[in-house]
Amino acid sequence: MALLREQYQALEDIVGPDYISDDPALLDSYSYPMVATSNHLGPFYGVYTPQGAAVVLPGSTEEVQAIVKICNKYRIKYKACASFWSGMGFPSFDNVLQLDMRRMDRILEIDEKNMFAIIEPRVIAATLQAEAMKVGLNTHIAGSGTSCSILASATGYAGFGPSGLFMGSHGDNMLGLEWVMPNGDLMRTGTLGSGIGWFYGEGPGPSVRALARGGMGTMGTMGVSTKCAVKLYPWPGPTHIPVEGTIPAYQAMLPDNFRVYTLAFSTWQGWADAAYRIWDTGIGYAAHRQFNMFGRDLKFGMIKVLTDPTKTLGDIDEILEDPEAQKITKEMQRDFQFVLVGMTPRDIEWQDKALDKILADTGGWKVEVMKDDPVLRNWSLLYFLKMGHKNLNMVYTGSYDGCFGGFGGPPDRGIKCVEEAAKFKKDWEDTYDTIVAAGGDCMMGSIGGSGGGGGVTWECFTCWDPYDKKSSEGAFEFHEATYKYAAEHNMGSGMERRFAHARGSDGYALPREQIRKLFSASPMSSIYRYQQKIKEVFNPNDLGDAYYSTLDEPKK
Amino acid sequence: MPLVDYQTEMERCSQCTYCEWIPFDQMKSWRFAKGCPSISYNRFLSYSARGRLGVALSLLKGRSTYTDKVLDIVYKCQTCGSCDVSCKVCRYNLEPLETILQLRATLVEDGQVLPQHTEVINSLSKEHNTMLKPKAERGKWAEGLDVKRLTTDKAEVVFHAGCHYSYDEELQKVARTAVTLLKNAGVDIGIMGEEEGCCGGRVFQMGYREEFTRSAESNIEAWTKAGVKKVVTSCSDCYYAFKRLYPNRVGSNFEVLHTVEYIDQLIKEGKLKLTKTIPMTITYHDPCHLGRQGEPYLPWDGKEKKIRNQIVVYEPRKPRYNGAWGIYDPPRDVLKSIPGIELVEMERIREYAWCCGAGGGVREAYPEFSNWTATERIEEAKTTGAEAIVSACPWCERNFIDAINTMGDGMKVFDVVELVQQAI
Repeated sequence: MALLREQYQALEDIVGPDYISDDPALLDSYSYPMVATSNHLGPFYGVYTPQGAAVVLPGSTEEVQAIVKICNKYRIKYKACASFWSGMGFPSFDNVLQLDMRRMDRILEIDEKNMFAIIEPRVIAATLQAEAMKVGLNTHIAGSGTSCSILASATGYAGFGPSGLFMGSHGDNMLGLEWVMPNGDLMRTGTLGSGIGWFYGEGPGPSVRALARGGMGTMGTMGVSTKCAVKLYPWPGPTHIPVEGTIPAYQAMLPDNFRVYTLAFSTWQGWADAAYRIWDTGIGYAAHRQFNMFGRDLKFGMIKVLTDPTKTLGDIDEILEDPEAQKITKEMQRDFQFVLVGMTPRDIEWQDKALDKILADTGGWKVEVMKDDPVLRNWSLLYFLKMGHKNLNMVYTGSYDGCFGGFGGPPDRGIKCVEEAAKFKKDWEDTYDTIVAAGGDCMMGSIGGSGGGGGVTWECFTCWDPYDKKSSEGAFEFHEATYKYAAEHNMGSGMERRFAHARGSDGYALPREQIRKLFSASPMSSIYRYQQKIKEVFNPNDLGDAYYSTLDEPKK
Repeated sequence: MPLVDYQTEMERCSQCTYCEWIPFDQMKSWRFAKGCPSISYNRFLSYSARGRLGVALSLLKGRSTYTDKVLDIVYKCQTCGSCDVSCKVCRYNLEPLETILQLRATLVEDGQVLPQHTEVINSLSKEHNTMLKPKAERGKWAEGLDVKRLTTDKAEVVFHAGCHYSYDEELQKVARTAVTLLKNAGVDIGIMGEEEGCCGGRVFQMGYREEFTRSAESNIEAWTKAGVKKVVTSCSDCYYAFKRLYPNRVGSNFEVLHTVEYIDQLIKEGKLKLTKTIPMTITYHDPCHLGRQGEPYLPWDGKEKKIRNQIVVYEPRKPRYNGAWGIYDPPRDVLKSIPGIELVEMERIREYAWCCGAGGGVREAYPEFSNWTATERIEEAKTTGAEAIVSACPWCERNFIDAINTMGDGMKVFDVVELVQQAI
């Protein structure tokens, strides 16, 4: 059902006729195929998120406030999204007004001295990074990649990623926040609320960061965050990264204080010990088990494809026929990538020396070809510094999801599960032809950025063909199986069902009864009860979406 | 291929929105980070490649029908191919530009056309040009030019002026200069004069496939009759049509060169010597159809297959058009060989260059958007400190001249051959 004429007109009066539309085809381009990826709900073949009632593009905080007030007046549900990368950003009810935040894309200030930036919702990591580097600073980039909104990552989710080792996550990095609350009023948090600047997210001033962000971010469902400040970090490099090479095999041409390695280990225990030791030693700029997302069997073949502009996916098998490639593939079985950035020549030498000592103590080594081949080395370095190839997640087919992974956290815990999980996936790949056969172990994730102490995140990438019903349905079966297996084997649930409580197989929010059942049984159900209380106060008209998790148990 | 055959593209789109931006690895500033003029100007997600694929899927599935908004989304795009380049940094089995072009062709087949484009098509049918001018005036640009007329003479090389250079009086000098330079360097060259026909490239971009084919067949027939072996043009749109579209869609074996490639060869062979100093700082704009869309056509007749259960590949190996092998260095090498010239680069160059704004029928149907796109490029050129923007396409040059006039700016616009002529 479309908006009533009166409602549409009220919104059009705010933004003007050029920035609102309810054309059906346009609205369809604002829905998300639930067979795609990264929303951790499916896949569900042929299912799309519910069509919005209209799309509106606000250009200022004042316009956002006015829109939210109209929504409250007419009880219209609304959802804001900045980069539309993930299914989380799309409505899960009918008749939701979609706020596309792309007109609010300005970097308002980079405070070089105090090392933070004030940004609007549509500032993506790539644009902030480009501007920050001009003044010797850098921003953390979430694992979702450089195309994603930093503000959304800071306010709406967690924002883990490879550079979290050095720069923390976006959730940690958020300072002052300007928040259009669910009723349309404006809240300025922390020091901003006291009128003394953006430099601190808590007091003096309203210390409501936890309310504005929720447990894992509000995912655009509790009001609209319109500006925030985020911490920036040192960048001891040129004002922009010099790039050479033929597309897509671009390479970073940086001085010697930038180094990238693929570290490999003879045992998983050595791998975990290295992760702890790296954290304890305080070295490194980014750490990620990245290229394993292509799969244990295929990763070196894929690296060769991606670094040679004449190659295509169809060349993988031929590349991997080479005994040398097979040897390197085997060598990289238990690996992760590691970036060192020295603030001074002495610093880089010290960091590298410390790394060598850690490797010597843990039975690890630097994979030679990734270090000595200038193309592989400089391509890897650019990959991690820019995070501009994140869409390689979908390179095989157009879809992926990260299964298992509930064993993230301390590295010791993860390594106990990784081979078992990998074997489960490998057996599935060998038995069924519905998911890409990449060698079972497609575990990837950041190291040292999740809670410190060398903490690790894991996602076992699984790829299926979203155009192929059998493949998509087979992937769904696989995810159901991994979820069940992980629960039965004490591995915890992975990313593949992270938001299963938010949206069902039809693309709509789950019925309240079902959510109640799920959250009541949760080991930490009090957080959902707490969020319910917050919602009752801040969002009394319940105009948000399903991703803000609440438990509204019936009164006894 | 009907639109339904592109459903694979629509459903395999990974929804990443990389198509809006230049490749992230090449991003140097907030100001010049965008790659797609269409979404930059029109703002709604629907005006990106991803959005257009979503609209196409909606139409295919019967969830929506043609509306003014749908036509606006489909046609308000220069088909510059920036989306295609950025998409393919990570995707090896998607063809967003091809899908967008097929969507347009489908609209045309269904009679969902723009009146401004209909006017162009009428002109093409009656007067054999896209400039809404009489056919009889097509050869005027070459009046007094001492060069063979291939309607009566024979030559190894035909110079194809194209509609724009034939009729744009301010720019005609570029075509005259190009022919003179080549002839003086010893090239056996001729022109079709008044009998020259439109290349069809522009109407192909607008979605008119039959009209394109008619133009292509007519040109091929005329060149064959004249004994031509090589086709040279100074227009990047024509170059793209001859180099990529003709062999693919009509079948032709002529060697195709852009003037800048030919001049580059002649300079490197010592047949053209540039001796006069031109003390000028310039920047070079890569035309979309010479750069990222100017890659050579490679025949392919194959099908999709899957390896490793589900990885989507092609048998035989499918050529990958991602802008890697476009014509980028020849014009730069020519400019660098001119004494006194200092070539400074803009932020967005080569395969990730910002479009001039003229392509895809946008100049004809959406002049404000077209002008805005050109203005953005001029603003970018100004940040380099250059006093002139140099290109190799009349569409780009015309759009830049108009934008500069609107802006009241003093930046000069040159074609590469004009500077070469000055340096001889």
